Amino acid sequence: MKEKRVRYYDYSLLFIVIFLVCFGLVVLYSTSSYNGQVKFGDAAYYLKKQVFAAGLGLAAMLVVSRIDYHFWKPFWLLAYVTAFGLCTLVLFKGEEIKGSRRWLEIGPLSMQPSEVAKIAIIIFLATIICKMPKKMGKLSTIVKVMVMVLPMVVIVAVENLSTAIIILGIAIALVFVSSPKYMQFVVMGGLVVAVGAVFILAASYRMDRLKIWLEPEKYEKGYQTLQGLYAIGSGGLFGKGLGASMQKLGFVPEAQNDMIFSIICEELGLFGAICVILLFLLLIWRFMVIANNAPDLYGALIVTGVMAHMAIQVILNIAVVTNSIPNTGISLPFISYGGTSILFLLAEMGLALSVSRGIKFDMD
Amino acid sequence: MQRNKTYNRKKIMLIFVAICAVSLLLGGRLVYLMVFCSEYYGQKAENLHERERDIKAARGKIIDATGTVLATNRTVCTISVIHSQLEDKEKVIQVLCKELGLSEETVRKRVEKVSAIERVKSNVDKETGDKIRSYNLAGVKVDEDYKRYYPYDSLASKVLGFTGGDNQGIIGLEVKYEEYLKGINGKILTLTDARGVEIENAGERRAEPVDGYNLHISLDYNIQMYAQQAALKVLESKEADSVSVIVMNPQNGEIMAMVNVPEFNLNDPFTLNNIEKQEIEGQEEQEEGTQSQETSAGEMTEEKKQELLNQMWRNQCINDTYEPGSTFKIITASAALEQKVVSLSDSFFCPGYKMVEDRRIRCHKVAGHGAEDFTQGIMNSCNPVFIELGLRLGIDHMYHYFEQFGLLSKTHIDLPGEAATIMHKKENMGQVELATVSFGQSFQITPIQLATTVSSLINGGNRVTPHFGVSIRDSQGNLIKELEYDTQKDIVSPETSQTLRSLLEKVVSEGSGKKAYIEGFSIGGKTATSQTLPRSAHRYISSFIGFSPAENPQVLALVIINNPQGVYYGGTIAAPVVQEIFSNILPYLGIEREALLEEKEGEKSQIEE
Repeated sequence: MKEKRVRYYDYSLLFIVIFLVCFGLVVLYSTSSYNGQVKFGDAAYYLKKQVFAAGLGLAAMLVVSRIDYHFWKPFWLLAYVTAFGLCTLVLFKGEEIKGSRRWLEIGPLSMQPSEVAKIAIIIFLATIICKMPKKMGKLSTIVKVMVMVLPMVVIVAVENLSTAIIILGIAIALVFVSSPKYMQFVVMGGLVVAVGAVFILAASYRMDRLKIWLEPEKYEKGYQTLQGLYAIGSGGLFGKGLGASMQKLGFVPEAQNDMIFSIICEELGLFGAICVILLFLLLIWRFMVIANNAPDLYGALIVTGVMAHMAIQVILNIAVVTNSIPNTGISLPFISYGGTSILFLLAEMGLALSVSRGIKFDMD
Repeated sequence: MQRNKTYNRKKIMLIFVAICAVSLLLGGRLVYLMVFCSEYYGQKAENLHERERDIKAARGKIIDATGTVLATNRTVCTISVIHSQLEDKEKVIQVLCKELGLSEETVRKRVEKVSAIERVKSNVDKETGDKIRSYNLAGVKVDEDYKRYYPYDSLASKVLGFTGGDNQGIIGLEVKYEEYLKGINGKILTLTDARGVEIENAGERRAEPVDGYNLHISLDYNIQMYAQQAALKVLESKEADSVSVIVMNPQNGEIMAMVNVPEFNLNDPFTLNNIEKQEIEGQEEQEEGTQSQETSAGEMTEEKKQELLNQMWRNQCINDTYEPGSTFKIITASAALEQKVVSLSDSFFCPGYKMVEDRRIRCHKVAGHGAEDFTQGIMNSCNPVFIELGLRLGIDHMYHYFEQFGLLSKTHIDLPGEAATIMHKKENMGQVELATVSFGQSFQITPIQLATTVSSLINGGNRVTPHFGVSIRDSQGNLIKELEYDTQKDIVSPETSQTLRSLLEKVVSEGSGKKAYIEGFSIGGKTATSQTLPRSAHRYISSFIGFSPAENPQVLALVIINNPQGVYYGGTIAAPVVQEIFSNILPYLGIEREALLEEKEGEKSQIEE
């Protein structure tokens, strides 16, 4: 038997990503044209900005995918410190939009440091876990790793609780994968739930959110949730057709942002919504394949981080839009409007593709 | 380099499986929302998006017996500006000022106000509306609308009634026949965005309005005019408070005219008419004298104005009761004849009064009528004769006939607010009450009740339902519904009815009703002069009820003059009014001067002799 080494490149992943980006742009244009026309007198206002960011992101993805992922290994500390610094800076120098300081102005552009934090935490954790793989079974190591992540989570949580939850989720996923044990995580899961409950009960405004979640029709603040439900409900099986949403006409506030999935439901129906979910599952399946076949633990962890990031964000977004969990602001990857988000997401895809290039397999 | 170990792969797999499981749950949630809750949320969303605009249905016309339209609709325009579509504000302000006759300040305020749509003026004439539309100004909207219009202003105002802001009937026939007249408003359903801006090209749903049906009534424009003129003449000459006239067909209850002067302008029903105004001023002056200076003559409280308006809108023929007085003797006579307690040749003696128990009840002729038979008694309208009749009938029979003639129930005329008869309770009635009731005092009925009861007694004994409404037709004149009314047969025998007619003819030809006599026509009738309560005020109501031809009555008229100054005898002032009306309308109704022919024949025969 003759062995031949073939360099692998995950084209499936690449195509899914490109398809998602294009689909996202179409839906974004449909959703945002009304708001763009009303606020800026330009129906394509949001689309133009998003196309620019997506173009930049695709370029970044291709570049990153060509770079060996081990290149990033030495930057683990720098990435963490930079992201932490930016997140601190934004609290003081950030531009305030609707009561939250989440944007940093850099020349004519503005960016969200919390998006940087997500990718930074993936590289940071993958690197440090790789430095002590044997110790990962110990509880003390796990605690040590989590303590290192905590400052980042806290600084992000000040202004953006949902992103902090995603970062925490990525960290837990990476630690879980790298440890050979299970019981510790069951205990940890219980602990997180307990802390979460205390956290919610501690502040009355969080209790209010719970009440709104249970009965959105009774509270004024349930308006957004309720409008989302109207949109979803009026979609039916096959939807009203692309562009035919009524709810995007100012009823669902800022429909192009976090609530965009409800407009997908209204326009494309249950069929379209399930297709979108399947598309994301396909993407995550590719991540799983790459992670499982990665040449080394470092690559596997990076892709696991990306996979966790993608999965948490999609699941939380859809759960919020369908009022399955209390409202919290999480955008839908590739589809929601947000330049920084799509740029760094695509860069992450580049990382995953780069890992896929390292896969070596035997062929007859 | 660290290897990717088996447990790492297992755990990655585990995460993937978990993600799939959660996705499945979310998919289930979506199915629940989009299949099972779809209708609920979809409906709610639709309610949110749809805006409903009414298209007014044209209200049906009211058309009289001659085909004259008494109530119709006029197209009026509402001028509004849509702020977001305005281009040349200054020109719009200038044009609207000029065409609408509003001050620049007012128009500027409306035009410059930032709102979705701002109404500048409503109830604008169609001509003005068309003119403004012809300027083709961007952002100026001219909407057409219907407004109720009464071509003859005050004619039969209290009968026709008028409509309110939503075109719904408020009083009179307008409210009684609301269900036929109003029609069904149409609707335009349009979609709007969250700001309420209509979405162009979104298919609008339309429900066309259904116009109201026309109401055809028995009222005759010409007869109403004649009656109104006669009423106004006597109102002025006798300085009376009010004059009411009912002209009806005694055979079927159709009302040909119903006048209550002073009438009011139906096209401006919320302005008090002149006579009321004088009263207010008088009252205000008194008030000012006693109270502080706060009440100025120009202002009055809303409540008070409403009260005066309600007073002005009252249809005295139907909404008010009065003591009928001597005209009621027709009813007492009918009862006595029917019960056979009196015959035409019975002789009576009137000393100028009659003792009932310990009371001395006076006749209007203080000296007394002396010896007289029953026919003379009714011609003289002698009170003691009728007291005697009442006593002969007794309380039981009197009450029985009251009921049989329909006096205790309402007439069920097709106008709202008919007042009920105010009568003694049977158990409270003594001989004195019986005596006073016999000549029309100590109880109250409405004028329409009197006219209807007398009609029924002289038409052969069929109790008719007085009415205006004849038929409901669509705008093309196709019959939708023939209006039918109850008739109660044989409330008196045809013989009694005939006797009564000939007695009443004598009242006009030879008795107290002489002034209603018209040469060549046979007219029956009865006068009345009643004093209103309290008696000390010395206010009188004089009235006359007449019909023609006496043998086969085709028309009956009742005239009631409220509080005339000077001479107040019904025979002197009310009978001539009926005479004037009859001399105009009898030829108009095609009733021939048969008596004249008879006379000529008589002359001929004399010559022959």
